[in-house]
Amino acid sequence: MNITLRINGKQESIECLPGEMLTEVLRRAGHFEVKKGCDTGNCGACTVLVDGKPVLSCSYLAVRAEGKEITTIQGLADEAKKFAAFLTAEGADQCGFCAPGFALTVLAMKEEFSSIPDEAQIRHYLAGNLCRCSGYEGQIRAIKKYLEAQHAE
Amino acid sequence: MQNNDYPIPLPNDAKLEATKQFNVVAHDLPKVDGEGLVLGRPAYTDDLVPPNALYVKLVRSPHAFARILSIDPTDALALPGVACVLTWKDIPRIPITRAGQGNPEPSPHDRFILDEYVRYVGDEVAVVAAETEALAEKAAGLVKVEYQKLKPVLDFEHALDNPIVIHPEPGIHEMFPIGFEPKRNIAAAYHMEIGDVEQELAASPVKVETTVHTQAQQHVALEPHTAFSYIDLQGRLVIVTSTQNPWHTRRLLGLAFQMPLRQIRIVKPRIGGGFGGKQHIHVEPYVAMVTMKTGRPASLALTRREVFEATFTRHEMRVKVRLGANPDGKLRAIDMQVLSNTGAYGEHALTTFMVAGSKTLPLYNKVSAVRFGGHVVYTNKVSAGAFRGYGAIQGLTGLEAAMDELAHKLSIDPVELRRKNMLHEGETSEVFRIMGEGTEGVAMNIESCKLEECIARGKELIGWDFTQLVHEVAPGVLRAKGMAIAMQGSGIPLIDMGSARIELQDGGFFKLHVGATDLGTGSDTILAQIAAEELGVDMEDIVVHSSDTDHTPFDVGAYASSTTYVSGSAVLKAARSLKTKLIEAVAEKFGVAPKDIVYTQKTFMTADGTKSLSLNDFSYDTLYHDGEKMKTIEATESFSGSKSPPPYLAAFVEIEIDTETGKVNVVHYVAVVDVGTPINPNLAKVQIEGGLLQGIGLALYEDVRYSEAGHMLSHNMMTYPIPSREDVGRITVELVDSYEPSGPFGAKSAGEIGIDTPPAAIANAIRNATGVRLTEYPFTPERVLAALKAAKTQHT
Amino acid sequence: MEILKYACPQSKDEAFRLIREEHGTAIGGAAWLRTNTKTIALGVDLAGLGLEYVREVGDHIEIGAMTTYRELETNPLLRARFGALFETTVSHVVGVQLRNIITVGGTAAGRYGFSDLNTTLCALGAQVVFYPDQTMDLAQFIERGAKVPFLLEKVLLPATAKGTYHQMRISENDFPIINTTAVWTGSEWRIAVGSRPAATRLCPKAMALLGADLHPSDDILASAARAAADELQFGSDIRASAEYRREILPVLVRRALMEVRE
Ligand SMILES: Cc1cc2nc3c(=O)[nH]c(=O)nc-3n(C[C@H](O)[C@H](O)[C@H](O)COP(=O)(O)OP(=O)(O)OC[C@H]3O[C@@H](n4cnc5c(N)ncnc54)[C@H](O)[C@@H]3O)c2cc1C
Ligand code: FES
Ligand code: FES
Repeated sequence: MNITLRINGKQESIECLPGEMLTEVLRRAGHFEVKKGCDTGNCGACTVLVDGKPVLSCSYLAVRAEGKEITTIQGLADEAKKFAAFLTAEGADQCGFCAPGFALTVLAMKEEFSSIPDEAQIRHYLAGNLCRCSGYEGQIRAIKKYLEAQHAE
Repeated sequence: MQNNDYPIPLPNDAKLEATKQFNVVAHDLPKVDGEGLVLGRPAYTDDLVPPNALYVKLVRSPHAFARILSIDPTDALALPGVACVLTWKDIPRIPITRAGQGNPEPSPHDRFILDEYVRYVGDEVAVVAAETEALAEKAAGLVKVEYQKLKPVLDFEHALDNPIVIHPEPGIHEMFPIGFEPKRNIAAAYHMEIGDVEQELAASPVKVETTVHTQAQQHVALEPHTAFSYIDLQGRLVIVTSTQNPWHTRRLLGLAFQMPLRQIRIVKPRIGGGFGGKQHIHVEPYVAMVTMKTGRPASLALTRREVFEATFTRHEMRVKVRLGANPDGKLRAIDMQVLSNTGAYGEHALTTFMVAGSKTLPLYNKVSAVRFGGHVVYTNKVSAGAFRGYGAIQGLTGLEAAMDELAHKLSIDPVELRRKNMLHEGETSEVFRIMGEGTEGVAMNIESCKLEECIARGKELIGWDFTQLVHEVAPGVLRAKGMAIAMQGSGIPLIDMGSARIELQDGGFFKLHVGATDLGTGSDTILAQIAAEELGVDMEDIVVHSSDTDHTPFDVGAYASSTTYVSGSAVLKAARSLKTKLIEAVAEKFGVAPKDIVYTQKTFMTADGTKSLSLNDFSYDTLYHDGEKMKTIEATESFSGSKSPPPYLAAFVEIEIDTETGKVNVVHYVAVVDVGTPINPNLAKVQIEGGLLQGIGLALYEDVRYSEAGHMLSHNMMTYPIPSREDVGRITVELVDSYEPSGPFGAKSAGEIGIDTPPAAIANAIRNATGVRLTEYPFTPERVLAALKAAKTQHT
Repeated sequence: MEILKYACPQSKDEAFRLIREEHGTAIGGAAWLRTNTKTIALGVDLAGLGLEYVREVGDHIEIGAMTTYRELETNPLLRARFGALFETTVSHVVGVQLRNIITVGGTAAGRYGFSDLNTTLCALGAQVVFYPDQTMDLAQFIERGAKVPFLLEKVLLPATAKGTYHQMRISENDFPIINTTAVWTGSEWRIAVGSRPAATRLCPKAMALLGADLHPSDDILASAARAAADELQFGSDIRASAEYRREILPVLVRRALMEVRE
């Protein structure tokens, strides 16, 4: 079937199967920033925003996204670059495979919290973004510094 | 910046001072690819597959052990869009190993790309290629395979001399003596003894014996193993793959397909993590077979389940350690006996097993006698392979448990017991000379070892008080501390080799080509830092390109904690020799002797200050302006270490244990580490932090489980959870000042050592909390509670 | 997962007809379906039915079947009436991104053994409403299942209650080994236990022991906790044995009860 998706503000007409999940459809459309890490819904590498909310695109029916606003990390590139600067300054970007999904969840968290979340809240909000390389500590350092800098702005 | 073309020997203390004067090295520079990866630019193998590629799916064995009687591809081939179905009959029958290791490999050649026998659930049976992934999957389901089921051997404790022989087939062989006895289900064996261990133990007033059983572990790199292949314009086979070792991959494929190596090119793009899991050939042969058969590009990305069921795990080991000591705690003898499970094939069998001893026993170098030995056995489980820690974590888990038991027996502070016996700077261990990786080792004096400093700082950070190692925080809930120390290596001496080429470009920047493989660790970045430091330029002036067998110089690959030390030394050598060439060229241009050229701030000057030329201007001169003097200025250098200086780590952990439920949580993990000069301190630190969490995962959560028939039960991330960011309270890593004279700018390694201590330190903390020694990993709540209960009934 | 035919009905009548008469498979969040089902002949997407709500109607609270876990976790009405109960119940289920997808309806309909949420819902005395007009205790539905294909429309809860949720997991985002919710309804105690690893059950004997007193003694709490373990059956799976589950359940029940009693 043919569906029309709004991806990062651009309307795209895409061929898809009714049972297909959003990850497959987005990657086929060239959105390689959406990663496939686990096939089961555990890792968070496939995170995208649907109408501003972070969801696992691997577990989200593509047909359901019709008429909704889909945002990948590329759609928030300017903000993502700012966060990337903090992440790389901590050396907390390792293989980077988790990074686009993880960064997107960080940006979603920033939008959702009216004040700066504490460390426990950060860890909890991001618990669905697994990283096998970093041990998370450096990511947490980067997030805290990023949020503080954003808050100060 | 000084013009020191050749390292000027520094007095001992001045070495440490030198680390403070670096401009690029020892600085926290961001990874060169960091921003691009965060933004998700196409970079990994699966992002780069050509649009017209065939999709490959593998038919895998549903049985733990079986003989294939027939394969009928008729129905699969009848599906429109299916390009081919290939089986063991389509390729030459050449025994190989899938292990990416030096040549000749210390792993037995006991494997065929496809075989008539299957030896674990998930073993490859046939290769199917089709126009779409869905079609390939459907076709794979239609391939009819008839099996003769055989009774499998699943318990490694019963593999040795079992009447069921897993490798009865002719033709398989070892490359040099490794104790390979397939008729006895032995993939490898080894034994060594220094002094007389039995005699020394008998004479020791205090003795302890501890046996631990560490489980198989999955790497779970977030990117599944992926490769695609195509035929280039010259008819050569190109494979783009998530590999840790492009050259080994090329060599092994050449052997498997009986192809000249010149016909093959291997390219590694970005990789989404490796940890040793991509130090083997898992996907490359199958895409290659399809491309060679059809002439078309072909791609294969394993599903997560395939990664679990059919790529490698860590070697499960049973480690028995006996210690003999004097009443004052002076160790007299260590005996370590190991049984290791290599699964269905012998990849890394001997070497991981030997590392259990060779990278742990030297820690306590003052003993009079030390012995190491045992067997690596075959079972009908998925093969074990390389995995960060590579045997050291298993051996250390046994050794450090025994050390703590000894401390308990003597009622002395485990920290003091270790300090009394451990290796110090300027010392050596016979073990270095005797045990190498599969062969003899290399004698080595320890020129940098800051274990004392690591321990002192670690005690401070955790608040270590030997008289107060445990306290109750709520009824039945205890907080307790434990510790362990570790060492690793930095590359394999005289076996690992890396090379680098640096070339001046117009515009005054440099092209750095290295064979080294960045797995996400940041090696491209730190190698560029080394080059920039030595060439006296900024990071931006180095453009790095890595891991392409056609376009970069040779490197064995990223494993054995080798990249910084081995490949980094190659880069440093290349930068040095390039600098010399630059100075010589400018000297000739100025008509002065090279010694009269001062190179500083990207400018060449004559010593008398009369003439000067910027690097930028010179780059145009040498490439465009200097007529018959024009030339490309480049240098290629290689490095193979004559030693493997160990990094060291002291770990202190605080745990919380709920004695009513058996749940153990890590509250705080402190690791203080001597990695030599950290070329990029932040990247080194994060390497250690990641290693620690993976080690904590092994200690507490991760387990590879099988059904009685040999089916893997933990075959996805729902059944094999890896630690999330909510599992561990806090991890603190600090690096101590250290300088390794043989390393590039004083560096050693950081890749593996982080993973080694958690299983031992956590076990020691539980022992301190409860008096119970847990030996069966992982420490799930159920195991912990059962052990506590068993101890209680014993006492009453 | 392959869906051969896909429908996204805009009315409950039509959805119900497709499920009941054409054997359509209801699609909630689809997160569980997609990992556990290969082929669906007719997929009936429930996204068009307006079943995303948490609202107070008369003397109870209604939760629409398509309401997500994330909504349960953050909904102000649920927080006002049940404190942090829903948040603690669902907070271990993987991550925010999955909880933004998975639904109350998919959870209740699935009757999963491992469920965190069903334990809390049962302890609260939740009822499920099947379209068009059948209402049933969730605990009873979980025990007996349904004989015919159904459309689960919503879940009904009492207007308020005091409860706590306790569970054991090997690691934080794994499935639970065992879980329990203890609830004081205002007039009586209710205890539910899930992940045995079979599905959630109430513990009538333990509940009876506690009586109608919000402040039972420590001894009574402890014996009720033991009674819960005695009256239930446990099984073994890859995460834990039946024995271990039986052994720690009283600890969790006791802790949950004590926390509510506070
Ligand atoms: C990776 C992962 C980890 C998880 N971990 C946990 C965990 O730790 N604890 C836990 O409790 N749960 C866990 N879950 C399960 C999660 O809670 C389920 O996905 C959820 O309960 C099912 O909800 P869904 O909306 O995805 O249902 P779906 O997958 O859409 O549906 C599930 C079943 O219910 C039927 N159905 C759905 N809605 C209705 C309806 N309204 N009427 C009739 N039938 C309906 C469907 O036909 C299907 O049979 C996990 C799931 C995943 C994917
Ligand atoms: S790929 Fe979606 S959660 Fe892992
Ligand atoms: S950086 Fe590799 S998984 Fe996170």
